[in-house]
Amino acid sequence: MIDPANLLAIAAMATATYLCRIGGYVLLRNRSLGPRAMAVMEAAPGCVLLSVIAPAFVSDDPADLGALALTILAATRLPLLATVLVGVGSAALLRHAFG
Amino acid sequence: MPSAEPADGPGAMAPSSPSHPGRPQPPARDSTWTQCCAGAVDTLPILTGIVPFALVLGAQASRVGLTPAEVPLLTGLNFAGGAEFAALSLWTLPPHVLAIVAVTLLVNSRMLVMGAALAPFLRHQPKRKVLPSLFLMTDASWALSMAHARRRAQAGAAHPFSLPYYLGSSLLLYVAWIGFTATGALLGPVLGPAHDYGLDMAFPAVFLVMLRGLWRGWRHARPWLAGLAAAALTYWHMGGGAWHVVAGALAGMATAFLLAPRPGKAGR
Repeated sequence: MIDPANLLAIAAMATATYLCRIGGYVLLRNRSLGPRAMAVMEAAPGCVLLSVIAPAFVSDDPADLGALALTILAATRLPLLATVLVGVGSAALLRHAFG
Repeated sequence: MPSAEPADGPGAMAPSSPSHPGRPQPPARDSTWTQCCAGAVDTLPILTGIVPFALVLGAQASRVGLTPAEVPLLTGLNFAGGAEFAALSLWTLPPHVLAIVAVTLLVNSRMLVMGAALAPFLRHQPKRKVLPSLFLMTDASWALSMAHARRRAQAGAAHPFSLPYYLGSSLLLYVAWIGFTATGALLGPVLGPAHDYGLDMAFPAVFLVMLRGLWRGWRHARPWLAGLAAAALTYWHMGGGAWHVVAGALAGMATAFLLAPRPGKAGR
């Protein structure tokens, strides 16, 4: 049920996350970050999230690109669940229509 | 775990706090249990965003090959939704541990800032209490607890940050996160092949809503766009694997570094 390689990855991931959680408290509580370090820290999560989904932006299927455009539009104004429904629904419909 | 309902900031939750009806009461009289319940109650609206997020994550985890036993292990030990989504998008059998750890550190680096912001409020607490409590720190419980602390500070509390309130909020999120990601893992295989139903688009959808929560205007988004361009180009040239994430993250962070005001110069 539990694969050793998966367990290792999960344990390593959990350790990395816990270090992030306590790191700020343990290391930074008595000092403040410079503006550049602060800017990099603030930008990092957004950069990673966009990088992870970057393959969707360079898909060679026009149906995928259309669905992505609709999903971006939905994400700017709808709650999470509605955005997921728009993304999944538009991808399914456009792929069937053009596929 | 990133708040999945970024549109409702902590301020939107504030009026529903049952321990502060109308006029501020002396916070010191609140019992530990009352504060704990207040934290949980204030967290309930956030759950409407967390539950679908957790179900999608669990289903995605089962799709990349994690078993229904491994999913709650992952979400219970790690308990950071953004990192879990990012890691699962890179997950192979066997997984690339270094790439997964690198992405986890990058996505969770914001927790360093959050923890540092909490530190002044926790000076009077012993480390043996603080360090285990920080295991449960999420975007949502952090933001709610900081808002709660601000209200108590205005009411004149000597120690405005309430550890019970924070734990009430965090524990509810923790239980819900494990429960609903496990449920998603059980439901995932029932749903069938992801691509036919467009289910792979759930990923970009969740991430884009999370980005909206982080959005602070186009000016602050320039590093993101640089990262996106670098990641897309890398993926275009090299195909699968995780290199596009590394390239995009590094390019974005380098852009943020270069655009930031230089030390010693005031403003820009």
